[in-house]
Amino acid sequence: MKKYIVFIGIVVIEIVIFLGLLLYGIDKVSEKKAELNTLRQLAHELRLTDFSIWTEARYTRHPSQADWFSAFQDYPSSVEHFPAGSIIPPPELILKEGGS
Amino acid sequence: MKKHLKILEFALSSLLRRKYKNLSIVLVFSMVTFVIASILFLTHSFKKEALSVLEGAPQLIVQRLIAGRHALIPVSYIDEIKKMPGVGKVSPRYWGYYYDQLTGANYTIIGLDRAWSVNGRVMEGTALAPEDIGYCNIGFGVSDRRFLQVGDDLFLQDTKGGLYHFKVKGIFNMKSQLLTNDLVLITKKDFINLFQFPPSMATDLVVEVYNPSEVTNIAKKIKERLPDTRPITHDEILRTYNSLFNWRSGLMLTMFAGAVLAFVILAWDKATGLSAEERQEIGILKAIGWETSDVLALKFWEGASLSIISYLTGIIAAYFHVFFFGASIFAPALKGWSVLFPDFRLVPDIDIYQCFVLFMVTVLPYTVATIVPSWKAAVTDPDSVMRG
Amino acid sequence: MEPLIRVEGVSKCFNRGRPNEIWPVREVSLEIYPNEVVVLKGPSGSGKTTLLGLIGCMSRPTAGKILVKGMDVAKLPERFLTEIRRKTFGFIFQQFNLIKGITVKENIMLPLYPTPLGFKEISQTVNTLMKTLSLEHRADFRVEILSGGEQQRVAIARALVNNPDILMADEPTAHLDSKLSKDLLEILNTLKSKGKTIVIATHDPLVFESNIVDRVYEVRDGSIRASS
Ligand SMILES: Nc1ncnc2c1ncn2[C@@H]1O[C@H](COP(=O)(O)OP(=O)(O)OP(=O)(O)O)[C@@H](O)[C@H]1O
Ligand SMILES: [Mg+2]
Repeated sequence: MKKYIVFIGIVVIEIVIFLGLLLYGIDKVSEKKAELNTLRQLAHELRLTDFSIWTEARYTRHPSQADWFSAFQDYPSSVEHFPAGSIIPPPELILKEGGS
Repeated sequence: MKKHLKILEFALSSLLRRKYKNLSIVLVFSMVTFVIASILFLTHSFKKEALSVLEGAPQLIVQRLIAGRHALIPVSYIDEIKKMPGVGKVSPRYWGYYYDQLTGANYTIIGLDRAWSVNGRVMEGTALAPEDIGYCNIGFGVSDRRFLQVGDDLFLQDTKGGLYHFKVKGIFNMKSQLLTNDLVLITKKDFINLFQFPPSMATDLVVEVYNPSEVTNIAKKIKERLPDTRPITHDEILRTYNSLFNWRSGLMLTMFAGAVLAFVILAWDKATGLSAEERQEIGILKAIGWETSDVLALKFWEGASLSIISYLTGIIAAYFHVFFFGASIFAPALKGWSVLFPDFRLVPDIDIYQCFVLFMVTVLPYTVATIVPSWKAAVTDPDSVMRG
Repeated sequence: MEPLIRVEGVSKCFNRGRPNEIWPVREVSLEIYPNEVVVLKGPSGSGKTTLLGLIGCMSRPTAGKILVKGMDVAKLPERFLTEIRRKTFGFIFQQFNLIKGITVKENIMLPLYPTPLGFKEISQTVNTLMKTLSLEHRADFRVEILSGGEQQRVAIARALVNNPDILMADEPTAHLDSKLSKDLLEILNTLKSKGKTIVIATHDPLVFESNIVDRVYEVRDGSIRASS
């Protein structure tokens, strides 16, 4: 078999896979629409302002409600803190006790 | 067209001569595309989902500051705010944090003072009503950490060290995790008792505004009338999250900057030098009757075939990684040191424009970098090959 | 009879105006007629390869005229030179200049890739050619593992594949023993009988004393002295 046929075959297969994934995505998005509506309603009903993603400190649990002007909120001498450190971990002592 | 197929055929033969070198370029190229595409997909779909949910957040929140710190707000402020034109209902929110010694996790506790309901299922069991004293609704993360089922008791320590117990009436399901993972919903009465919350105070106030375009204006007026308050508008909430996700994706990109840099060096190396052998080959092709444009087409196909395959492989792998495997490689970078962290089940909502831009910044420069150095060799007279 | 190629007072200079200026070809005039075997004979460094390159449109003369089928190629733009190279000339280089790493067959196919011919036609042409040069058993071998004689036959096949009128051979016997050289002359003779014009640059007596040769030009320091 000619090499260019193999190459074009691979490219076509990959494009088909990608288009398939796109269609799958569009399908999923419309499927998820109702779910998102429910969540939006929930946020409205319970009057929630923030996501429950980073729960370890006030300013990470409720970034939109927090006061940004206090430094070192993670732990003393925390180097990075927006909204939660992920490269340099807190001292082991703090990690073990679970913070605060 | 036919001619290009033949030139493509030779380009592939030519690439296969240096099988391992080119295979490793494909590998590195795919990896770089994979990493960048993963981060773009992850951030985009997460951001889109999150911002769409936050559309339901309150229009305007009024906090009180004492000595520059967030403090409880007197309920009497409600009447003061209500007097302003354009303001609808003003109601207090009761909420706070609870640090759970047992699991090392922080919960968000909400004191419920009004009935609520939503269309669609958000929980196992039933929703808490404001008169359900001694009952609670808990987030999935809480139930998971404390091994609680509907009907079990959740024990919380009060300010004096005594234990309160709340019967679990409902557990928020996984689907609502993004909003509810760490929530503990109890009645306002229980909330006040548990924390010895001062009467006639609230955590903050929710202000409804008749005309959404007036929100900023009213926020400004509240700040003027009550200088110790801090109004937070709906727009500010959205903006906070927008910049937060951008920052996180920037952070992730920075972490992989090394890989990207290595790739750039690789491409640069290709771009700046044409080996004597390659130069000789271009001369031979010209000598046997290839036109300059044919030689450039050959180089185009060498660069394009390699980079297109790598690009497609990279984005397909990224799609699977982010939407079928929960972005397992980047989740730690996104999570930080959180104890309670929701399991993302992201909707595969991708931005074609981003894919296009990624194409433009990977395939295009690589292909150009392959063609450009051959240019000079392709336009010179081929008589040099006559002398080997 | 009209000559196929007429070279009139052609000179070629390299590195003009610099201290290493050199004129390997000086005021050369010669004529090549259809179906002739012409030899450019001369010692090493006399300018044979340079002259061959000029005649074959690989480079342009610094002065003088080269008429190929009546057209002055010195004045033609690059695009037409390529076309003339492809349609009129087939080159066998001193160093073969095969492309390493790809197969014998692909090497022979290369000159036809930029033409409108399809893969099938190209493949057929190449297969017949390989058969006449007894290369078909080597078709899928990479060229660098072939012997010198086989490589030369691949180079001949590549030069012939687009059916040129004129075959240009630069020192074709340089890498061959006398047996293989005789085989080569045999091949050239067959080509001549098929109507091809052949130009050979060489200093090998076996070639220029052979009876297939019609005309010999002696090259000395870039100039021509006609003989026989
Ligand atoms: N591109 C060039 N730049 C400078 N000098 C060159 C160039 N090409 C050829 N020359 C010089 O021109 C002279 C003639 O070279 P040419 O290759 O034509 O000789 P030749 O007769 O083919 O020799 P040989 O029999 O060894 O192949 C040589 O002295 C060579 O150094
Ligand atoms: Mg020579």
